Amino acid sequence: MNLMKRTEAEARRMTREEVSPVTRLDENTEAFTLTLELPGVSEKDINLVIEHRTLSVTAENTVEVHKDYTPTLTEIPEVSYRAAFELPERVDAANIRAEHRNGLLVLTLPKREEVKPRRIAIAAG
Amino acid sequence: MRTYLTTLDNPWRVFDELMTDFPFDFLNNAWRARTGQYPRVNAWENETGLVVEAEVAGVDPDKLDVSVDANVLTLKGEKPLSGGAKSEFQRTFSLPFELDSENIKATAKNGILTLSIPRRAGSEKRRIAIEKQ
Repeated sequence: MNLMKRTEAEARRMTREEVSPVTRLDENTEAFTLTLELPGVSEKDINLVIEHRTLSVTAENTVEVHKDYTPTLTEIPEVSYRAAFELPERVDAANIRAEHRNGLLVLTLPKREEVKPRRIAIAAG
Repeated sequence: MRTYLTTLDNPWRVFDELMTDFPFDFLNNAWRARTGQYPRVNAWENETGLVVEAEVAGVDPDKLDVSVDANVLTLKGEKPLSGGAKSEFQRTFSLPFELDSENIKATAKNGILTLSIPRRAGSEKRRIAIEKQ
């Protein structure tokens, strides 16, 4: 194995800085909603994996290059987004749903039936 | 009292005050950009116009407001936060040429807003010939 030989894609990946995406967590009685901001990331460049109750997301953005134009302001770097979350026991890992829209990756983590709040009927005495 | 006198005696006081203001503002913007409150922007220009790309992940395209006034481009928007809260942002760019506000092309994809704005007719870069004497 030649360690010096790297494909172009690998070399490009190595120059990217790893950053944590802006994330927010919401909760309701049915589920947790984890929202990650991934601007400039296409669906095919998102990698979502669950392993031993750890949910990890890696993604790469694409920064457009406009030929025939001169760059005047460059604030958006090419980055690798990386985030990992330890799923609590009350999350039903088998039924996690992921949605990609508007530059957001929205993960719905349903709560397990037994932890959802339930009303207890009071028997008349 | 001593501090007061020193300050009074310092002819560079005004300058110092200006300089201490500057990095705070700069850091504030950098921090806001990092936390996603302030959209990061890439811009390109040529003789025909300007292309601007802004990171607006999570911003409802209907809540995005792009306006052009002569050579000033303003980008305004609103982003939902946890628990129904909202965060508003605004960025203004001053350009060395005037823009054609009638012909702005705006598209949004994967949380990137792309604006294509032509220069206003008569605002193109032109070479000035120097007369030889």
